[in-house]
Amino acid sequence: MNLLILVWRNSFRKKVRFGLTCTSVMVAFFLFTTLSGVNHALTSSVSNSNQYRLMTSHKISLTQSLPINYKQKISALPGVKKVSYASWFGGFYQNEKNQLPVTAVDHETYFDLFDEYHIPTEQLTQWKNTRTGIVIGQSLADKYGWKIGDKVPLSSSIWMNKSGSFNWSFTVSAIYQTADHSGTNNKVFFQHAYFDKGRAYARNSMSWLSTEITDKANVDDVIVAIDKLFIHTNSPTRTTTEQVFIKERAQQFVDMAMVINLVVIAVFFTLLLIVCNTMIQTIRERNNESAMMKALGFSSLSLIQGVYLESLLLLGLGAFFGSLLAYLLIAVVGQNFNDFLPGISIAPNHYLTVFALVNIAAAFCSAFPAVAIKRLVISETLGGQA
Amino acid sequence: MKSNHNITLKNINKSYQKGTNTVVVHDNFNLTIESGEFVALMGPSGLGKSTLLHLMGGLDQPTQGEVIIGTQRIDNLKQASLTQWRAENIGFVFQSHHLLPVLSAQGNVELPLALTPLNKKQRQAHASYALELVGMSERANHYPKELSGGQEQRVAIARAIVSDPHILLCDEPTGNLDRKTADEILALLTQLNRDFGKTIVMVTHDKKAADYASRVINLESYIFEPKNIEVGEQL
Repeated sequence: MNLLILVWRNSFRKKVRFGLTCTSVMVAFFLFTTLSGVNHALTSSVSNSNQYRLMTSHKISLTQSLPINYKQKISALPGVKKVSYASWFGGFYQNEKNQLPVTAVDHETYFDLFDEYHIPTEQLTQWKNTRTGIVIGQSLADKYGWKIGDKVPLSSSIWMNKSGSFNWSFTVSAIYQTADHSGTNNKVFFQHAYFDKGRAYARNSMSWLSTEITDKANVDDVIVAIDKLFIHTNSPTRTTTEQVFIKERAQQFVDMAMVINLVVIAVFFTLLLIVCNTMIQTIRERNNESAMMKALGFSSLSLIQGVYLESLLLLGLGAFFGSLLAYLLIAVVGQNFNDFLPGISIAPNHYLTVFALVNIAAAFCSAFPAVAIKRLVISETLGGQA
Repeated sequence: MKSNHNITLKNINKSYQKGTNTVVVHDNFNLTIESGEFVALMGPSGLGKSTLLHLMGGLDQPTQGEVIIGTQRIDNLKQASLTQWRAENIGFVFQSHHLLPVLSAQGNVELPLALTPLNKKQRQAHASYALELVGMSERANHYPKELSGGQEQRVAIARAIVSDPHILLCDEPTGNLDRKTADEILALLTQLNRDFGKTIVMVTHDKKAADYASRVINLESYIFEPKNIEVGEQL
């Protein structure tokens, strides 16, 4: 008789209770892992490319436009290598359910800065020479069956064109791919010049500027220099690194990090109460058996170890399946929301955190039963009435 | 040479708190049971028969006095030493068998051997032998819920003897059984006493059960009526 077998069998003694408690643990770790994936995106370190890329937007809000001539002014600053600009178009195909991340970009410079989009040279040239041309991601081309030369009507819920319509006509001129084949393959880019001339209002303006700095330039110095340049204008700017820009864009909706922490704390507190209660109830039901085992010569410590292992098994199984589900979800979400919040993934050290949490929770949940076992008086529990 | 596992209770006082009262169960109680005896402790409820059994097995401590098993005084042992001593020297059979429902008869009997250095094969062999002694070999793989009351008690006896203790302490072992099954269990205990030299102390209300013992101690006529003493009063 192996004591581990006893732990295993005791765990599955009340299958429904074990299943329900395990499910609650699973849900808790599912939330924890999923939110940590989002948190990872919000807090992950900057990549090589976006360390050297700065984003400049209106100081008040991203929805406020900036004059296009800011490009020339920033280009003249020391430490600046390339500057480009872009405007958010929004956009959908056929109906609003088919939302697409469509951006109008400066066709002369944009893909020089953003070289992570791999476009065949002849296609890029063709796009630059086609005013209504769009560059689309491979996954988007696969999804809608679009080919080079296809006419594609896209609509915007923001931008009306000169003819008073929100429908814009485009021609597929290039298809890009990315190295990691991630969700960034579903974007659409078109010429800012076409956008600027075609829209009914807000001409000669754009939403944000992207600036690439030289290897030797100091990021902070360039950021200060750019913002200082426009501080006394009608459109003051706020410049950050691209990573910070992306995070702030996500955090416009809600302070994700704070929500994550609050949810995690609430979930784990509830989880501890549930599992603690289960373990206390379980051990109380087995009082006679615990007393019998003590009478047979089992020490309190060995019985407490058994309770700890049972808690560990319960929490461990829940944590494993919860994390597994979250991993699968994050893989899917990462594909579809990478443009909104890049870097959604689970950091390897998150699993170490899960491991540590499971052990700490198991120890905590064993504490009350441990006290009960320690205080168990064999003679009173098994005690004869004689 | 016959080993000495005499049970000696010397000047035992045992009392406990019940609300604000101190209830005295035993006052200057003395008893010696010699190695190899089969003793029945009888008497009405409340006279402290089970308490004596618990004192002999180290499950409880006397308020005063000494509990000596063989040459070992056990009432002053620390909990860890007492636990180990109990595993090596005492087998318990209770009125309720307290078998673990998640283990088969074989698993239940093997349980105390988990505390020994025996390997898996040896543990299985010992447990099989103990089950054979109590006539439960054919039910070795059955779980407690698949056994009758008498069979469960046989398995409990097998569990009590599997680590070959010198002393078997039985608290109403036939209390939940019908006459025929009770006689079978008592015959088994007699066999363990006669053929294997186990010292058996059995608490019982049943005179017919007591007839199987080589000595009967009736606590009713033995010493005193229990009495209540207010807190703080000297005994």
